[in-house]
Amino acid sequence: MTVTSLIEALGLDVHHGGNGNVHVSRGVVGDLLSFVMGGAPEGAVWVTLQTHVNIAAVAVLKEIPLVILASGRIPDAELLERCRKEGISIATASDSPFDLCGALHDLGLKG
Amino acid sequence: MDSRYEVEFKVRGDDFLAAGEASNQIKETLIMLGVPSPISRRASVITYEAEMNLVIHSGGGILRAIITPEKLTIEAKDQGPGIPDLDLAMREGFSTASDKVREMGFGAGMGLPNIKRNSDCLQIDSLIGKGTILTATVFFHQGEGNRG
Ligand SMILES: Nc1ncnc2c1ncn2[C@@H]1O[C@H](COP(=O)(O)OP(=O)(O)OP(=O)(O)O)[C@@H](O)[C@H]1O
Ligand SMILES: [Mg+2]
Repeated sequence: MTVTSLIEALGLDVHHGGNGNVHVSRGVVGDLLSFVMGGAPEGAVWVTLQTHVNIAAVAVLKEIPLVILASGRIPDAELLERCRKEGISIATASDSPFDLCGALHDLGLKG
Repeated sequence: MDSRYEVEFKVRGDDFLAAGEASNQIKETLIMLGVPSPISRRASVITYEAEMNLVIHSGGGILRAIITPEKLTIEAKDQGPGIPDLDLAMREGFSTASDKVREMGFGAGMGLPNIKRNSDCLQIDSLIGKGTILTATVFFHQGEGNRG
């Protein structure tokens, strides 16, 4: 499914919308940057609690089109700025990482 | 592709705002040179982890990528504290990162294992008090090195 339809299906709060037409079929969850760097499938949706600018560098290198900050976390100003610059979509939700991943799984995304 | 292409970046210690910039530029260079994406993806893991280790552990250094028709070589060179026990440093989960950077999600002790997994050859030369030179190689064609 596309990033746009995924954002709609989950009712996410969009802080910056990048290219919404990108198709996503995989997901990853984690707050350890090297874990995501080493293990995330390319082009995955990333669910995390991290809010600082360095997650954008990982997203760029892993070609991650959408980062979802869980549990009501808000992106730092530098992170938002970097996502704008790099064209990465960043959205937030009050749901926990567990619930978000469950919903993503229900939508057909795989790990 | 020309026979040899080289890019070099200065990486500043503790500069978390610029961290990842060198890796990003190397990735763009590889794409520009037409390096296949499975290779450039492996390269991104290597450069990112090497760059972050320069930012976090060594007070900065130099990150370099050398591309020839056969292979990509990534070199990270610093004049930091050195690595006292390389076998220990290579172990997944081992980290000397501070609490401050751990809170940011660094310090899982997975960087060097990630580099190893994505390189065909990995060499680390380190001298305590002098610095560290990490050299990782990725071959463009299979069978030219021993992966892993
Ligand atoms: N360039 C370096 N100079 C000095 N020490 C280093 C250098 N690179 C790595 N180390 C040492 O090796 C350890 C393991 O490195 P590794 O990259 O595997 O994990 P980390 O950086 O601690 O955590 P992570 O990479 O998962 O965020 C580091 O904690 C540090 O003690
Ligand atoms: Mg590291």
